[in-house]
Amino acid sequence: MIFASKSFLVFLAVVLVLYHGLGRRDHRYRVLLLASWLFYAVVPPHYWPVIFALTLIDYVAGVRIGRAADERVRRRWLTASIVANLGLLIGFKYTPFAYENAVTVAGLLGVPLSPATLSIVLPLGISYHTFQGISYTVDVYRRQIPAVTSFTDYALFVSFFPQLAAGPIVRAADFLPQMATPPTVTRVQIADGIVLFASGLVKKLLVADPLDQLLVGPVFADPFAYTDAAHRWAVIGWAVQIYCDFSGYTDMARGVSKWFGFELPENFNLPYLATSIADFWRRWHLSLSAWLRDYVYFPMGGSRGGELRTAFNLLALFVLCGLWHGAAWNWLAYGLFNGALMVLHRGYDRAVNGRPAWDALRGTVGWSLFAWAATALQFLVGLVMIRTANWPGGVRLTQSLLGQSFEPTSVEVATAVPLPVGVLVACGLAGHAVELLRRAGVPVPATWPEPVRVFAAAAAFATVIVFAPGVSKTFLYVQF
Amino acid sequence: MTPTPAAPTTPARNWRKLRPLLWLALAFGLLDCAARRTAPVWERHSPDDYAARVEGCRREPRDFILVGGSPVSEGFDPDAMTGLTWQGLPLANGYAVGLPGGTLTDIAIALRHAAPIPPRLVIYGASATDMNDARNEPHGPYSLYATADVAEVWRTRPDARAWTVRRYAEGQCRRVSAIYRHRHGLKMAAADALESQSPGACPEAAKEANGLRDYADALRLGRGYAPAAWFADARYDLRKAASAPFAPFDFLDKYRTGSHWRYAAELHAWCTEHGVALVVVEMPVTADLEAKYPGPTAEFRSLLGTLPADGVPVLRARREALNLNDADFADTIHLNRAGAAKLSAWTRDAVNALPHGDGAAR
Repeated sequence: MIFASKSFLVFLAVVLVLYHGLGRRDHRYRVLLLASWLFYAVVPPHYWPVIFALTLIDYVAGVRIGRAADERVRRRWLTASIVANLGLLIGFKYTPFAYENAVTVAGLLGVPLSPATLSIVLPLGISYHTFQGISYTVDVYRRQIPAVTSFTDYALFVSFFPQLAAGPIVRAADFLPQMATPPTVTRVQIADGIVLFASGLVKKLLVADPLDQLLVGPVFADPFAYTDAAHRWAVIGWAVQIYCDFSGYTDMARGVSKWFGFELPENFNLPYLATSIADFWRRWHLSLSAWLRDYVYFPMGGSRGGELRTAFNLLALFVLCGLWHGAAWNWLAYGLFNGALMVLHRGYDRAVNGRPAWDALRGTVGWSLFAWAATALQFLVGLVMIRTANWPGGVRLTQSLLGQSFEPTSVEVATAVPLPVGVLVACGLAGHAVELLRRAGVPVPATWPEPVRVFAAAAAFATVIVFAPGVSKTFLYVQF
Repeated sequence: MTPTPAAPTTPARNWRKLRPLLWLALAFGLLDCAARRTAPVWERHSPDDYAARVEGCRREPRDFILVGGSPVSEGFDPDAMTGLTWQGLPLANGYAVGLPGGTLTDIAIALRHAAPIPPRLVIYGASATDMNDARNEPHGPYSLYATADVAEVWRTRPDARAWTVRRYAEGQCRRVSAIYRHRHGLKMAAADALESQSPGACPEAAKEANGLRDYADALRLGRGYAPAAWFADARYDLRKAASAPFAPFDFLDKYRTGSHWRYAAELHAWCTEHGVALVVVEMPVTADLEAKYPGPTAEFRSLLGTLPADGVPVLRARREALNLNDADFADTIHLNRAGAAKLSAWTRDAVNALPHGDGAAR
């Protein structure tokens, strides 16, 4: 069940009525938990035991860690929780990839292995709720939060349906305190929720999906049939598509959560205004970046060791980040690519930082523009890696990005870039443009009066009804 | 994290809290009203086929009305029936209410809505597909039926009760919002406007919009014969020569009759009640279709054979009688423009030759 579907709207309406119709906090949470499990179990239903078992393990581990005084016992329960979460994540997500490569290697060594005949369907949101489970037990272990005594509360934290499928990855320290007091929905939350939900629908159904259909999908499927101009537009379109798809989901998740009285963290901060790769990762998928920083990078030593150690930590962190997205070589390459860029950027930054001439140059508008363009090129190349259907096609697209010209192999297929693509790209980046205007001194209000915002949301809903394709595509990040 | 009761809230505070929802409802309501007030524009860009034909027919009193499924919409051109007479008086003004995919139930109900002033003659172009109980056409209850029609179907066709009510309710729900109901028309109008402002912006959508607008105009202002240009000129013989495979045709699968057939009597009863003459024309089909579905063809013809006993003349417009061949068909069941001209002229002559009121089969 995806957000941009009629069935979800019916489901949401029923759950909201039930939830707000009940007076007692525990009744409300039970309804919300059952609804979340139902949401999880719709496709495929036989995976419900996975989330239930993990929830139970982490809940028990949290309670035991909280109660135990003996450090060894605490560590044992923490290990059990981490092993259970990572074990299932690896089992579901990486086994097919590992086996596929084992077949290839065995073939090269002359040992025939039969190729996999079964494909494993990923349980919904496994990459997200396993990370939430780990963060919870680690935080309890670190004594940053108390263990949750109510199973319902803990299960709801893990399974809360608005963020179950594709985040944001919620930290127990942020979410559980909201559950302690009965969540009363405020008028501001209702209005903000409407605006966020409308914004998410527009981003997903009116920008991301049409971009994919009009240009991005066909060009990435067969880059050799298109001109270099189409390649460049397709890569830019892909950047806007993935941003609008994912941030659209996040907007809807945050909006729906507000209607239940909960606040979820922001996941994006105008990422395409970044002026360095490090800046980009401080703006993109914030909840994952913060999670990896706090639970992987810092425990590895972060930047406290020498330069070599820090470079290794950064590389390892981004390889993990790449593999978290998907078990495939292109994701591994994406992680390595970003890790290498981060290492290079760190080296460059440390080399020039504090030098008056460099500092003066870096403060100019011209340098900012250059830094922005260089950063944009870096993440666009990275984005080609994760979408390309094959390496030669990816190389061709990257060459076009870098300025080379190509003639299409097929005149029939190659068509001019449809005009609406430019319009959709502009719409997808409208938020970024507003921020640029603000920086340029144009007095754009930070917020608008409630009636204006809600009227705009109504217009957005009407536009979605009219112009959205009949069937929405699955959100990209749900697949991760 | 001990369970605690919800914080106390006063009813007044709760209602004030819901003000954004009221704003939303108001805003959407205003937009919806705007869409409703301008509905003819959107309907013109995406006509509801059934409703447009019924409305087109209702626009003025008709001398004769042709009813049936898509073989009628593609096979009868009322303009080509000039010279048609009944009981010695000319029938000049006709309209073809051919409902693509329509069943006999839909056809009978459509006639009642299409003829507030009864015509003098109704010609039902009957096809085997109209009577197949293995199929129901959602478009009927969705866009044609009134509540009284649903109640009647509930009474007359117990096998289709749940289905009809569900489709009818679905249609009514979709009518609640004009934006939702006219979403395709709004989209087509926008595509048309955008293309005229910036040529090349969305040529395919604009082409579709133009085609739909022409179709809507033809149904509204014409006489119900409005085949798409490519369809009117299509030829089944050329298609066969190009070795095109026999197109799947599931309208005659699992053929059984009885339930829809009850509406033959309803159609006759309505005509009798309003003093309207009813003539049934057995619509011609290709030899290929007859060969593929011999059972349904025989059963259908046998059913039509029972009508003359009730005083309803049946004209057997078979290929050999009209000198039709594959070149006169667009596909296995629909006539092209040339075929429609032949059938219309033949029907005119055949009706004129009928001993009016005798109920003799030709």
